[in-house]
Amino acid sequence: MDIRKLALIGALAVAGVSTFHASARAEDVKITVWSLDRDIQPAPNLIKDFNNLKNGITVEYRQIQFDDVVSEAMRAYSTGQAPDIIAVDNPEHALFSSRGAFLDLTDMIAQSDVVKPENYYPGPLKSVMWKDRYFGIPKATNTIALYYNKDMFRAKGLDPDKPPQTWDELVDTARKLTDPAKNVYGITFSAKANEEGTFQFLPWAQMAGGGYDKINAPGAVKALEIWKTIIDEKLASRDTLTRSQWDSTGTFNSGNAAMAISGPWELDRMVKEAKFDWGVALLPLPEPGAKRSSAMGDFNWAIFANTEHPKEAFKVLEYFVSQDNRMFKDFGQLPARSDLAIPSSGQPLKDAALKVFQEQLKYAQPRGPHPAWPKISKAIQDAIQAALTGQMSTQEALDQADQKIKAVLG
Amino acid sequence: MRKLLLSVSDGRGFDIGLVSVPLAFLFAMAGLPLIYNIVMSFQEVDMFSLGTFARPFVGFKNYITLFSLPETWPILRNTAVFVIASIAGQFTIGFALALFFWTGFPGSSWLRGLFLVSWVMPGLVVGAIWNWILSGDFGVLNYILREVGLVSGNIFWRSDPDFSLWAVVIANIWLGISFNMILLSVGLSAISQDLYEAAELDGANVVQRFFTITLPMMRSTIGAIIALGLIFTLQQFDLFAAITAGGPNNSSNVAQYWAWDMSFRQYDFAQGATISVIMIVFVMIASVVYVRSTRHEVRG
Repeated sequence: MDIRKLALIGALAVAGVSTFHASARAEDVKITVWSLDRDIQPAPNLIKDFNNLKNGITVEYRQIQFDDVVSEAMRAYSTGQAPDIIAVDNPEHALFSSRGAFLDLTDMIAQSDVVKPENYYPGPLKSVMWKDRYFGIPKATNTIALYYNKDMFRAKGLDPDKPPQTWDELVDTARKLTDPAKNVYGITFSAKANEEGTFQFLPWAQMAGGGYDKINAPGAVKALEIWKTIIDEKLASRDTLTRSQWDSTGTFNSGNAAMAISGPWELDRMVKEAKFDWGVALLPLPEPGAKRSSAMGDFNWAIFANTEHPKEAFKVLEYFVSQDNRMFKDFGQLPARSDLAIPSSGQPLKDAALKVFQEQLKYAQPRGPHPAWPKISKAIQDAIQAALTGQMSTQEALDQADQKIKAVLG
Repeated sequence: MRKLLLSVSDGRGFDIGLVSVPLAFLFAMAGLPLIYNIVMSFQEVDMFSLGTFARPFVGFKNYITLFSLPETWPILRNTAVFVIASIAGQFTIGFALALFFWTGFPGSSWLRGLFLVSWVMPGLVVGAIWNWILSGDFGVLNYILREVGLVSGNIFWRSDPDFSLWAVVIANIWLGISFNMILLSVGLSAISQDLYEAAELDGANVVQRFFTITLPMMRSTIGAIIALGLIFTLQQFDLFAAITAGGPNNSSNVAQYWAWDMSFRQYDFAQGATISVIMIVFVMIASVVYVRSTRHEVRG
């Protein structure tokens, strides 16, 4: 090794040491954040902006995959290597807070000028609560409503400004819109055997007086009966049983379904792909004047109980909350707050849809909260699938689900 | 002392030393997790006790709970159907193709190589593509069947409980054919041509030659392939995840997918481990068959 090479290595080593010093200023508190947000989504961008403030807190970000959120977090927590802050899917929030894995934020929220519970929609807020205490802050939210193809309504002599209001009208409209010769189904939704199936079915049960804790209520049975009618009469594809919401709505965008039940995450793709006039309506009710309800999705922020810097971690969360007004404009996500006016996107169809979703969000209800939610959800999925494939009657299927859920609820 | 040193440098000690390295590796990489899994199936495990070994033992409770579930027997039956049908399909078609390419027509060797493409593709990609092919409304398979006149209406391969398991079987057969064919081709080319020439001189026809020469000479290869096929089929997870997700109503659910669902969707790790232990028993049987059928292949 000659002297020049040695000098070069020495120079590199010195440079390495000095950059190391620059990045880890001794006085900075380091906060780690885990979430599933990609580079175009909120978390990494907000963190970049936060670090640029140079206020003595440095945030490190790690992206985790959707399927790994809970198992990664649990493994990290039980081995004492949990991050300070994590974004967790709202039905799984209670699993952590009920076992004391998340920090109780109630007192910090009470003293905060930024985080105010009254600014939030009730559904998302309820999902971060356990035994009347706050264990997190809603990160974003979404819900489902009825998309419909106005051009197809016109073609079949239906009024495009009068989307179906009740379940019976919905089935009736679907019958009129179904056109096998043109490969058009009346409606598309998802009854898949995963969380999506539960997500789509629960609002129907709740509107009719049911719920996860009374899944075999007469109204819930009627709801499943309507779903079965839709599948049996081929008003929706049989593949509804195995297709995700995203794939199902894809058939709406391509003009193979006249209506679709899905959420605001479809908007950007629909604006791009749908070559027809479309609108969004609130979910139809069991009968006129019935109580509205809808599903509630998306993630919550939480601080792990074993963090060394609870105050600084909460400061980071306060910063995230203070940026909520950017959520829709910059990242296409809905903030979980009712006090923010969302600026126009310049897309008339999208803006009109957004208004409906914001209205629907008022009625959105969380799944649970319950620490054993996945088991409850599985019982509901099994019932939906058993009834829709005709292996059990709707009543039998939901009775069985009720038994399983009662065993979980204890 | 000297004897010991000698034995280590060149003798039994040396052999043991050589063997112990892979053995230690195997034990650390496969043995320990296996034991851990079995222990876990006798414990009460949840998300919060995952990081510790000190968990309450519950005896056979996990096994009793598992077999009291209404879906357990149907899922085990599905697993058996899936394994048998997949292996039968993969092996028969693979063998037929191997025999076909064995005739040595021009270009046969590189055509045979091309078949490996299906084996190289990642399972999730294969699953996603079959997902489209099998789609009920716009799937290519339905289109072909309709045009040929075999069916009048669309078959909902993924969503009809009568077909969903077979949808995955079809995809899995396609995936496994090339592997079977290549291994069988290797076995075929190892058979000496003299045997066939002698048999031909004695007046044996094609069918007789196949049953009295080809099949007996291929016995160990066939045993190995079927045992490997059993292991690969019991491992098949991607196709289920991509095509049916075990639905509708568990009609296409199999033990390996169910174990994952229990552990990582419902966070019931003990139940997941219990299903895995039951599967281990079957894989062990397959391994014994595999080891026995390849035992005399040791080359000096």
